[in-house]
Amino acid sequence: MQEQDFILCECELASLRAFVASIEENFEVTIAKAPSTCMTMIRAQDTVELQEFYLGEALTTECEILVNGQRGYGICLGDEPVRAYCIGFIDALTQLPGADLQAVYTFLNEQLQLIRKAEQLEYNQIMRTRVDFKLMEQE
Amino acid sequence: MGYVAVKGGTEAIHNASELAEFYRIKGDTPPIDIQQIRAQMRLAIDKVMGEGGIYAPEYAAIALKQAEGDVYEAAFILRAFRTTLQRNYYSYVINTREMFVKRKISASFREIPGGQILGPTRDYTQRTLDTAKATETSIDIDAFLNSFGAKVDPEKMEGISTFGKVIDLLQQEGLLAPPDETEDRRLVDITREAIKFPAPRSARLQMMARAETGGLMALGYSSQRGFGSVHPTVGELRYGNVPVHVQDAGGRKRYIGKIEVTENEMITGSKAAKEGAPPYFTIGYGLCFGHNETKAICMSTLDTTMRRPENGAPANDQEFVLYHTEGVEAMGFTNHLKLPHYVTFQSSLSNTRAAIERNSQAGKELEQQLIQMQSV
Repeated sequence: MQEQDFILCECELASLRAFVASIEENFEVTIAKAPSTCMTMIRAQDTVELQEFYLGEALTTECEILVNGQRGYGICLGDEPVRAYCIGFIDALTQLPGADLQAVYTFLNEQLQLIRKAEQLEYNQIMRTRVDFKLMEQE
Repeated sequence: MGYVAVKGGTEAIHNASELAEFYRIKGDTPPIDIQQIRAQMRLAIDKVMGEGGIYAPEYAAIALKQAEGDVYEAAFILRAFRTTLQRNYYSYVINTREMFVKRKISASFREIPGGQILGPTRDYTQRTLDTAKATETSIDIDAFLNSFGAKVDPEKMEGISTFGKVIDLLQQEGLLAPPDETEDRRLVDITREAIKFPAPRSARLQMMARAETGGLMALGYSSQRGFGSVHPTVGELRYGNVPVHVQDAGGRKRYIGKIEVTENEMITGSKAAKEGAPPYFTIGYGLCFGHNETKAICMSTLDTTMRRPENGAPANDQEFVLYHTEGVEAMGFTNHLKLPHYVTFQSSLSNTRAAIERNSQAGKELEQQLIQMQSV
């Protein structure tokens, strides 16, 4: 579930929108709660004494979608109505008893590969700045 | 002196607002795209989000555009916008140990878990004005991106890793002060509950997380210079992404995205609590939205100073620090001085004139008495 959400929150919106558009006509979709923005308070804690505190709020979009009567919730950071709808739709679909999810899993796997590849590239670009400073007397 | 309500002037106010908009765009240049602001004014966006107390990069970009680049005003706009939306979720506690690290350095230890990673920084380069930026073209940008991208060999990429923390080294050696059992550790929300002093540490950290960077820097710096006498060292400064999870209406834990944060643990030497007891190190903690190292460093410095009120310097005084670094309130109060104060000023003017008159009258009477005395 969390990996599914991770992929759907981090993948390219255009791909996600196109994928959902390609399969949603096979189902009876009802928007129980249209995508709307709200706030999420971010909880944090200091790393030594574990004192919890509120860091601030984050803009969030949420919606509720029914797919063949199965309820799904779409939640993501930002003002992202299309993404929230797609997350809600796939959330409902993946809980729908008897649904053929092969296309969904294929899409999720493809997107995960793309996300991981982009992350790994950025990580390696960052790692080029790793340094081992020498003290002056070591020269 | 207080300000007074006035009426009228609607047309002039409307025209003034229109004139401000005219001044924003009168240069007849192409409109700045919000995505351009997001991408190329990264640090300004982060400052606006941090001080507005809301993580919303796109909205911060809009606010910055609307405010013609005034970070205070943009943070004010975001802070006001925040109140228009319902808070429907509280996240699970974010875990900075899971951070996708983009920068990680320590000034205390040369060798740290995973090594020192400089990340995107200008700390070690000269601040010379790059006049080539004035003529930068899309072709220049493409050329740089292609060249930069080619510097990583796709065949030799290392796997992504998270990193242990520097403070763990100190903790393992038992060098950190044990938590003060008498400290107020309640979790309060300063957006829902008026702050009272002494404030719980959670309130202090929350207020500093959305405080104005310059204010925090002024007070943090005052302490570093000796007013309050905290001599801190950066234990570990990190910047990167952390995942955010919430519980949905069905009770399931859901990933909803990632936010960028800057975190700093500041190490300070501490005197022994009692005579004969060993000295310890204490850690001041700083965490804020986006990439804002000055803020995280000063927040962690002030986290330590406010736990030592006996030093008596401004940076050790909770009320002084927290009220005067609250940028939106400070800006609001400062700017309210421009509002009409006619009645109260007229009253003050009358009192001053009367006092001068009385003084002048008394002077004349005194002069008369002196003349009379001289004539006797």
